[in-house]
Amino acid sequence: MYKYFISFLLFFVFVDGFSQDKKNKVKETEKDTIVYKSAYGFRLGMDISKPIKAMFDGSYSGFEIVGDYRVNKRFFIAAEVGYEENTTKEDYTNSTVKGSYARIGFNFNAYENWLDMNNEIIAGYRYGFSLFDQTLNSYTPNVNSLYFPANTITVPQTATSLNAHWSEFVFGLKVETLNNLFVSFSVSYKILMSVKDPKNFKTLYAPGFNRIFESNTGFGFNYTLTYLIPFVNK
Amino acid sequence: MLSLLLLIIVISACEKDDFCLKNPVTPSLVIDFYDDTNRETLKNVKELYVWAEGKTDSIYINQTLNSITIPLNSLATETVYNFSKENVVNQFTISYTTEEEYVSRSCGYRVNFNEVTFLSNNTWIISFTPETLTTIENKTEAHVQIFH
Repeated sequence: MYKYFISFLLFFVFVDGFSQDKKNKVKETEKDTIVYKSAYGFRLGMDISKPIKAMFDGSYSGFEIVGDYRVNKRFFIAAEVGYEENTTKEDYTNSTVKGSYARIGFNFNAYENWLDMNNEIIAGYRYGFSLFDQTLNSYTPNVNSLYFPANTITVPQTATSLNAHWSEFVFGLKVETLNNLFVSFSVSYKILMSVKDPKNFKTLYAPGFNRIFESNTGFGFNYTLTYLIPFVNK
Repeated sequence: MLSLLLLIIVISACEKDDFCLKNPVTPSLVIDFYDDTNRETLKNVKELYVWAEGKTDSIYINQTLNSITIPLNSLATETVYNFSKENVVNQFTISYTTEEEYVSRSCGYRVNFNEVTFLSNNTWIISFTPETLTTIENKTEAHVQIFH
């Protein structure tokens, strides 16, 4: 899985080059006084990657509503809320997590727009938390012996009101495709701050966080469609 | 379009990427065979056959060894082994309680054997030590020393 992320990072490689640097005597022109105003407002939409993932992956379902509010030229307050259900199949355990989550933070737009363009290169931070239940559907004790094999225990055990808190760093692109309609793709790196594990088991997946790796980190990606409700142009 | 392509790549990349590196996580019982007259020296058992009571296949077949590693039955609270030396069978019984303990995502649950007691009907085995153990640790050194 990591290799895809590394490959993905190639998209962020920029090469800066120039070949000629000739000084031209430019006639002083009058300064352009036209100011292009951009819209400020509330942007609302959804993550369409989650229903698509649910179509391909039968052990997953989820949806997410995303929104942001523009504070100034560069900063946006951003939040996401969602619900996820995911079954994790491992060699010796099979468990299902279901629950809801919220993430709140900000986005910084690093892109300098030309004229009246309204695109973004996003760098952001989120604080995330989720509340969920985890059911251990079945497990096989790892006795590693063919002489005395173990039975698979299929009595489900549910641990309720588990929770997780994390920090995440978001990088992405947002493009205005039609007037006020935005398409955005972003990836995130998540660091778990705290998690409540079930007794004699572990939280393997947290809604909104995705798979919890051994190092208590995680990855996420969003593909969102949002619509801007403009309040004011400035 | 590019994003959709990336999306498909990321989804298809969700394959298994870890395996249990700590195997075996469930401990087996390690027994060393010592000389009864000179109790510090290991002594080989000749023509050794080892099988569990009720099983038709043996773990060790006609071997000359001074140490054996045998699994315990996690579905019972007792495992009865037959140790055969030169066609003389000695029954060795291990009694215990079992406990399942979660290890990790890739390793799952291990079975711990606690409150272990050993019993032998002493045909060719003269004595053994210890008679009880609080738990069987996962290690390569012997848990039990048998003198013959």
